[in-house]
Amino acid sequence: MFPRPIEKAGPGARIGYQLLLPFVLIIWLLPLLAIFATSIRSGADINAGNVFGWPGEFAMIENYVAVFTRSQASMYFINSILITVPSVAISVSLACLAGYALAIYRFRVALPLFFLFVAGNFVPFQILMVPVRDMSVRVGLYDTIAGQFLFHAAFQTGFCTLFMRNFIKALPFDLIESARIEGVKEWRIFWFVVLPLVRPALAALAVLIFTFVWNDFFWANVLTQGESAKPITAGVRALNGQFVNNWHLVSAASLIAAIPPVIMFFLMQRHFIAGLTLGAVK
Amino acid sequence: MSPILQGIITIIIGVGGCVGYFFLSNLILDTLIYPARGKNIASNIRRANMVRPWLFLFPAIFALSLYLVYPVIGSFLRSLYNRSGNEFIGLQNYVELFASPEFRTAFLNNILWALVVPAGATAFGLLAAQLTDRLSWGNIAKSLIFMPMAISFVGASLIWKFVYAYDADIGLINAIRAGLFGSEPVDVMQIPFWNNFFLMFILVWIQTGFAMVILSAALRGIPEETIEAAIIDGANPFQIFFKIKVPQIMGTIVVVWTTITILVLKVFDIVYTMTGGNFGTEILPSYMMSFMFRDDGRATAIAFVIMLVVLPVMVWNIRQARAEQR
Repeated sequence: MFPRPIEKAGPGARIGYQLLLPFVLIIWLLPLLAIFATSIRSGADINAGNVFGWPGEFAMIENYVAVFTRSQASMYFINSILITVPSVAISVSLACLAGYALAIYRFRVALPLFFLFVAGNFVPFQILMVPVRDMSVRVGLYDTIAGQFLFHAAFQTGFCTLFMRNFIKALPFDLIESARIEGVKEWRIFWFVVLPLVRPALAALAVLIFTFVWNDFFWANVLTQGESAKPITAGVRALNGQFVNNWHLVSAASLIAAIPPVIMFFLMQRHFIAGLTLGAVK
Repeated sequence: MSPILQGIITIIIGVGGCVGYFFLSNLILDTLIYPARGKNIASNIRRANMVRPWLFLFPAIFALSLYLVYPVIGSFLRSLYNRSGNEFIGLQNYVELFASPEFRTAFLNNILWALVVPAGATAFGLLAAQLTDRLSWGNIAKSLIFMPMAISFVGASLIWKFVYAYDADIGLINAIRAGLFGSEPVDVMQIPFWNNFFLMFILVWIQTGFAMVILSAALRGIPEETIEAAIIDGANPFQIFFKIKVPQIMGTIVVVWTTITILVLKVFDIVYTMTGGNFGTEILPSYMMSFMFRDDGRATAIAFVIMLVVLPVMVWNIRQARAEQR
C-alpha cells in the first residue's frame, strides 16, 4: 500500500511522528488560535494583562455583537456580499460561453485567443489601476457597488474562461459529435449536453472566484472612497483604527472578515482544492 | 429598495442577460441571417458555424477588452505623461524612478520577495505533503494547513499583527520572549533588513497550503514500483524522497513555484497593512500605492516595471502551457 501508513513503521519513528507533527501543526496555526483566544476574552481581562492564560470570563458573544453594533461592520459585510455574488454569477456564466467556444470549435484564432486569456490571467492588476479608476469616475461607477462587481466580473472572466475551456476540452468529444449528427441544435448541445456535465467544475470555479473577490483589497481601495461602498476587507482595516487598543474587538472584527471564505472553504473543500489544482496544473 | 433585493435583481439581469443573449443570438443566426433552408442551405449552415464561436466568445472578449486590454495600453500611454497628464515627457517618469533610492529599495526588496516566498512556500508545502500523506488523520491536518489560503491577505496581516505586536501582552513573539527569557519587548517590524523576512513569512504561511495540496496530488501520482525498487535496493527515506520522489514531480514543483512567483509580485496588502512601506520594507506594489491619487504618471510607470519583472515568468509559463497543448 502506498503511501505506507506511519502505523506500520518502527516504534521510534512512529512516536516521534505522532508527537512531533501535532506539535508543529499547533505552532503553524498559533496565530489563528491566539487571535481567536483574544476575541473571546473580555476587555477587562486584557487590561489586566491576562491575554494568554485561561480567560477570566468568556465574552465571545458580547465581543462579536459589539463589532456589529458599535461599527459599520454589518454594512461592510452586506457590501461584500453584494459585490461578490454578482461577480461570481456573471463571470462564471460568461466563461461558460467563451470556454465552450474555445474548447469545442476549431477555428484559426482559437489557440492564439486561448493564450491571450492565459496571458491576461497573469497581468499584474496594478497595471489596470489608473485607467480603470478613471473610466469608473467618467461613467459614474466610482465609489459604487456596481462599479466594483462589474470590474471583478470582467477581470475574473479571463481566469474562468481558461478554467472552463480546460474542463470542457477534457470531456469526450464524441458526445458532442454524436449530438451534432443527430441534428441537435448547437445551443441545445451547449445547454443540455455540456452544461450538466461541467456542473462540478462550475461549483469549483464558483467557490474559487467567491474567495478571490471576497478577499480583494486592492480594488476596494482603488474604486471606493467613502465608507458606503467599501467591502469588509477594506472595512476591517478601518475598524482596526476605530477600535484602537480594544484588542478583543479588533481580533473579533478580523475574524469576522475571514469567516465567510473559511466556511465556504470547509463546506466546499473538495471543489476548492480541485479548482486550484485544475487551475494551476492545467 | 433593500440591498438584498438589489443584489438579486443584479444577478438576474447578469445571468439572465447571458442566457438571453446566448439564446437570441443563436436564434437570429440560425433563422434570420443564415437559415438552414432554401437553396443556399449548405453554405448557410457552413457560414452559421463559422460565425457561431464568435457569438459564444463575444461577451467575454468584450468584457476583457474593456477592463484588461484597454487599461494596459492606456496605462502605458499614461506613464509617458507628467503628473497632471497634460504634458508628454517620454520616459522621464522611468528615469526619475530609477534615480530614486526609495524605488531601488522597493525593487531589491521585491526581488528578495520573489526569491524567498516561492522557495519557502514550496519547501514547506512539499514537507507538509510528504509528512501528512502517511498519517491516518492526514486529511484533517491538510485542511488545517490549507485554511490560511481562504483568508484574505489583509485578514492574514491583521492576524499576524497580533503575532508581531510590540506590546508583550498582545504580541505573541514578545510574549514568548518575555516568558522564556524575560527579555524586553522589541518591535519586530522595525528590525532593519530582517523585518522583510518577517513580512515574507506571512505570505509563506498563506501559500504553503496551496503548494501542499498540489504537490500532495503529484506525490500520490508517483508510480509505486519506483519506490518499491528503491526500498529493495536499500535506499534510506531521505534518498527515496530526494532522489526518487522529488525528481519525478519536478514538473509540478516548477509549476507551483512559478504560480507563487507571479502572485508574489502582485501582493501589496501585507506590506501596506503591516508597515505601510516604512522601515525599509517597501516593495513595488505598495510603493505604487503611495503614488495613487498623487502622481498617476509615476504610478503607472511603477506598474509597468512590475509588469516587466513578471514578464519572463509569464512568458515561460505560457510556453509551458503551449508545450502541453501539442
